[in-house]
Amino acid sequence: MRSLLGFAFVIGAAVAAELTVGARSGVTGDLNPAGAVWQAVEASKLALHRTPPQYATEPPSALEIASVEVKVIRGAGKTWVRLAWPDPSAETASLDKPKKMWQSEGLVRQSAATNRFFDGCAVMLPAQPVANDLFPSLQMGDALHPVLIYYYDAARGAEVMEAAGRGTTKRTGRKFPARATWAGGNWTIVLELPEVAAGTPLSVAVWNGGQQDRDGRKYFSVWHRLQ
Amino acid sequence: MSRHQYSMVLDLNKCLGCQTCTMACKKMWTDGDGMDYMYWNNVETRPGQGYPRKWDEMGGGFDRGQLRPSEIPTKEDYGQTFEYNYEARMYGGAASAQPHQEVRNTPNWDEDVGALMLGENYYFYLPRICNHCTNPACLAACPRSAIYKREEDGIVLIDQERCEGYRHCIQACPYKKIYFNELLGKSQKCIFCYPRLEKGDVNACAKQCPGRIRFVGLLDDPHSTVHKLVKVHKVALGLFPEKGTDPNVFYVPPFNPPRTGNYGKSILEDPRLPLDYLIYLFGEEVVEVIRRLEAELKVAQSGGRSEVLQLLIGRDAGVRYQIAQREDLVQIQPARHA
Repeated sequence: MRSLLGFAFVIGAAVAAELTVGARSGVTGDLNPAGAVWQAVEASKLALHRTPPQYATEPPSALEIASVEVKVIRGAGKTWVRLAWPDPSAETASLDKPKKMWQSEGLVRQSAATNRFFDGCAVMLPAQPVANDLFPSLQMGDALHPVLIYYYDAARGAEVMEAAGRGTTKRTGRKFPARATWAGGNWTIVLELPEVAAGTPLSVAVWNGGQQDRDGRKYFSVWHRLQ
Repeated sequence: MSRHQYSMVLDLNKCLGCQTCTMACKKMWTDGDGMDYMYWNNVETRPGQGYPRKWDEMGGGFDRGQLRPSEIPTKEDYGQTFEYNYEARMYGGAASAQPHQEVRNTPNWDEDVGALMLGENYYFYLPRICNHCTNPACLAACPRSAIYKREEDGIVLIDQERCEGYRHCIQACPYKKIYFNELLGKSQKCIFCYPRLEKGDVNACAKQCPGRIRFVGLLDDPHSTVHKLVKVHKVALGLFPEKGTDPNVFYVPPFNPPRTGNYGKSILEDPRLPLDYLIYLFGEEVVEVIRRLEAELKVAQSGGRSEVLQLLIGRDAGVRYQIAQREDLVQIQPARHA
């Protein structure tokens, strides 16, 4: 039993890479991506990787989003993460809120489209403090190393998700503050997270709705330690 | 594989194209927000573009065991949803009721257009629901395991809590019978009226059918009409068997449509519609099925008794539906056939 657990532990976790994300401490962040406070924060450039196609009929995607710029501010018991990446088209929408699920009377709210997907991004953090430099699996953690995902979708807003392995991602219903702007072919988004301790690993993901990105079809970074 | 499998047989020789089944389903299940364009049950004219448009050419299903996902149909492929200017017509002096927008496509857009064969027009109706496949491509494609096949009766359902609206299921389904509710961010589909079945009632589409074309029961129940038609008499076939999903909705093919001057001649002797088209829809086996049906018809015409035709008449609900009580699902001993 002991050896089995040990095996699961090793395959379920990635050894820490010596990659870091800088952070500015002791100031209050700003949800506004253009806020002046961000100008004084050092940017880290995280290389993005593309997940491979899942099916033979899925066209491979060009790696046109090669990196994401990350700025982090820690202070006042919170952590603000500002992500910026190039995307020539903004896939976003303001969706009606459904009210009538079944047996409605009168006009129903219509679905505008069936085949569009929206731009998005996420910051993934270990749900528990890491030990021995062993980070959770990049594939949404694993049973022994669950993760928290702070997810932003350009149509539905921000929501905290939990996962403990591939295919286990679950919406918690908990919202968190986030603000996004798209201008001149670039997304800039600030996510307001609870306090994230220095040394905590984080990973970033970006979805390009224009090429039907969703779920595992995305760009992702490896783990980087927050300084 | 599930222990039992609910199944539906539809006799295409009897379908009137009246869309009563479509409306029964629409009012029962899909009149909520974001479901405007969805018809879990639809009736399309064949030959024709179908709903969504050209779904049969899109792809999906399996090829040598490998999933072959297709493109996702657009809203326009499904057909627009629109309102009429009733207020202007009723109270504002408008000369006629008109749609609010130019209409370019709707479900069954090419109603009764059909095609020509030897200078004569032909068409028939194809009612469609989810096939609740034995090997569902949708289930195989879902990365979240949100789609499941019920162990007790084989009905395929989408867990609305687990579904994240990724739509791999829509791409994988060769019948394009899963729909995306953009407002909810969820994929939705025919649920084979399982809440009705659990109360002992039959599917709404079947119950409302004025043509009595639908038969419902467990495919593995030797006493069910669907079992007799599909497994014993072998007169009903699934759509596009080559897609590899093993559908559980079966069709009795149109086998003897009337034609002036050909009384007594079968479709094989004097084709009223191209056999190739039926082979396209149902596979090569459709020829044998038509031979069996013709033979049954000859028996009846010569004064004999054909169980097949008696069943297909579907005289009353007792003949057409065998809805299992939940305890039956445990007790029924599946029939064995080679």
